Amino acid sequence: MQKSLRKYEPYLWLLPSLLLMAVFVVFPIAIVFKLSLSDISKSGVIGGFVGLKNFRDAISLPAFQTVMLNTLYWVLSVVGISTLLGFIIALMLNNKFRGRKLARAVLVFPWATSLVIQASVWNYIIKYEYGNLNNILLNLGIIKEAINWRSSYQIEFIWACFVGIFVTIPFVTFCVLSGLQSIDSSLYEAANIDGASYWQKLFRITLPMVRPSLTISTVLNIIYVFNSFPIIYTMTKGAPNNKTDTLITYLYMLNFYDRQKGPATALSVIGFIILCICAGAYMIFAMREEDN
Amino acid sequence: MSTPQMQANPQDRAPQDQEVQERAPQDRVVHQKHGVHQARDVRKENRLAFGLMALAALLALVLLCLPSYHFQATAYRKKSGNTFVGDERYEKALAEVQAVQEDYKSRGIDLTLSEEVTERTNSKGKTTSLVEFRLSNTYTKSALDFYGSGLASSWILQVILLAILLSLACAAAGLVHTIDEPWRSLSPRTASLRTASGLLALLATLMVPPFIMSNTFDLSRQVNLYTTGIQEEGKEIFYNKLDHFLFAGQAGDTIEDSLSGLKFTNSVWIWLVMACSFVMLVAAIQLRKGKIKPVLLRGLLYFFVIAICLFILYPYYVMTVTAFRTSAETNDMYFMHLFPTEWKLSNLKDILSQGVPRYLLNSLLIAGGATLVALICGIPAAYAISRMQFKGRKAFLGFVIMSQMFSPVVLLVGISQLMVTLGLNDSILGLILINAAFNQAFAIWLLRGTFLSISPEMEQAARIDGCSTMGSLWHVLLPMAAPGIVTTLIFVFINAWNEYTVATVLIKSASNRPITVGITQFSSFNMIEWHYLFAASLLATLPVVILFMTIEKHLTSGLTAGGVKG
Repeated sequence: MQKSLRKYEPYLWLLPSLLLMAVFVVFPIAIVFKLSLSDISKSGVIGGFVGLKNFRDAISLPAFQTVMLNTLYWVLSVVGISTLLGFIIALMLNNKFRGRKLARAVLVFPWATSLVIQASVWNYIIKYEYGNLNNILLNLGIIKEAINWRSSYQIEFIWACFVGIFVTIPFVTFCVLSGLQSIDSSLYEAANIDGASYWQKLFRITLPMVRPSLTISTVLNIIYVFNSFPIIYTMTKGAPNNKTDTLITYLYMLNFYDRQKGPATALSVIGFIILCICAGAYMIFAMREEDN
Repeated sequence: MSTPQMQANPQDRAPQDQEVQERAPQDRVVHQKHGVHQARDVRKENRLAFGLMALAALLALVLLCLPSYHFQATAYRKKSGNTFVGDERYEKALAEVQAVQEDYKSRGIDLTLSEEVTERTNSKGKTTSLVEFRLSNTYTKSALDFYGSGLASSWILQVILLAILLSLACAAAGLVHTIDEPWRSLSPRTASLRTASGLLALLATLMVPPFIMSNTFDLSRQVNLYTTGIQEEGKEIFYNKLDHFLFAGQAGDTIEDSLSGLKFTNSVWIWLVMACSFVMLVAAIQLRKGKIKPVLLRGLLYFFVIAICLFILYPYYVMTVTAFRTSAETNDMYFMHLFPTEWKLSNLKDILSQGVPRYLLNSLLIAGGATLVALICGIPAAYAISRMQFKGRKAFLGFVIMSQMFSPVVLLVGISQLMVTLGLNDSILGLILINAAFNQAFAIWLLRGTFLSISPEMEQAARIDGCSTMGSLWHVLLPMAAPGIVTTLIFVFINAWNEYTVATVLIKSASNRPITVGITQFSSFNMIEWHYLFAASLLATLPVVILFMTIEKHLTSGLTAGGVKG
């Protein structure tokens, strides 16, 4: 009797966590899937099963292709560039120098700041008429005339990407730093004795050793960046005509502004499936690390 | 910078001397020969470095003397509206301007004619065009001409010139009689002279951008501010200086007309002065240290780290400064000061009466509640998967990793539906639970890493002493895992505090808004109250940034220890 109860003990320990996640994570997933296959009126009344109609509607939306391409550009540029820059900054901060602790403390700032606030500040900075960037550059005598930093929607989108990169770098840097600190210094000593150059050491020792941290940060970043909403919403609001929207901001607009709930849920499911693929890749990787 | 090396020098030399004395006479000869050989190498390299330095200094001086600033001051202008290039009105206006030009020429003043065409397409798709003719005088100045002009750049130029010449002089003084001293054993006097030479070269390098920038500022921005009447203060003194500098004091009363529309270009060559003084710096390092690369790399490292830090802090500077400005100053494109002219603390007082305390309290409730729930649910789960073996452990682990991926944003539609069904729509409790649930995976993952890094022996010992599982967790494991738990706690707290998207969808009533949603009330479509927006942002950012900095030490160990290695 005692023994059979003991068998169930671990599940008891898991119960609160499971319950919480089941209700607030799994349930919404199920709801989204169900909604995506149902007929939804503009006012939100849920009708019967309509098959893949919502998906067909979503794909035939005029902005669909632009939005998907934007999402791709957004994720690729933000994750790619911030990983590269974060890696370089981590290499720099891994040196011993005076003020290293201070530099690391400063690097934490963008990570700890809410994205809405960060995006609002940059919004103000790049204003044409009275923005701080023009003001400072003029006052410092670096430029002669005010520059219009957001002359077209493509450039606005690039600014949004820039802010995305700005806030993503710290996470990459700290992931890579943790990888760098776990490298045994005797490896470098051995390489020095063999007369290896800086680049050889970088590519033959450093890079392979921090690869796990880099992979983790890259996969997590793909997911965070894909899901990122506040930056684009604050900086461009998707204007003009959803030309700067990503999937997430677009489905928000569709659902809560344009009252096109059917296609919005379909887009949710599409986004969810894309995330699942990334998550699956990550899981396989994490599990493999686990086995090692 | 150089003191430790200098102190080390006598010690370095001492063992060598001893060694020499201990050796047999024939050995000593060989050793001296070697020393002579070395001295010759040193002399050769020192000569080369000094030659380079002198050459660079000379080139810098030549560059400063070259005519690199070109000015265009307008003496006469005529605007002709609704005119297209080549049409009747254009010809007429042109003839008129040319007549004026001839008139000036007869008085011995040669003016160049230029025209500027502005085309605009109005809302009806009709293009209008405006042609402006200018008769202008061109002046050419060298950078050295700024010397004694009284402008801000003149004293910077003095510093640059002095630094370059003194650097060269110091290097020369540090070489006389000591040209073949090896670098490791320089006498203190020589070493400090050569160090001074390097520092002066560095100063010269650093002062070139301020020189060029202050010229750009004075001759475009400052002139513009005075001629358009935006600023009056110090106008006459400034005009006087420019009159003497540009027009040799000839302009007199017409100075304002001559200066309005003043255009200037500076040739890129002027930047080469910086390159020259940098070469001097490199040569000085060679003279002082013998090796250039490590010193330069070190300098470069500091340069980049400082640049990155400044860049990261820039938005925070903007936020802080704007939060204490008046509304007029935030919207003024001619605002000249880097800091507010008067720090307006009343901005804080204003926003405190506009619901911000309520939002901060809500944020605190949401973040605190979410952290509490996430830990209460997460600690047992993390304990189970790190200390117990059971069927489905791996599956649960997979589920945890998987759910780390699901941001609430992509599920917004489902979440808002669920919250309506549960009656938690527009409530703080709803946000607490959502934040707790979506941070659950991360919390479990971090906690699991912490628990695994603590050996289970202590708990086993406690268990043998008659402690229950619960008791051993509470009394043994949790105190030991405290740093990891605090890290997790702060992480979840910050994530929940900064959450925006779900809150903006779920929360409808103003009294339930967290601060991230609350600050958006200061920006409406046609008017953004930047000073209030940033004052509120400052209050929302400061606490979490400080919190985050407290766990910064654990970030490197915590992140991947929990994530990868476990």
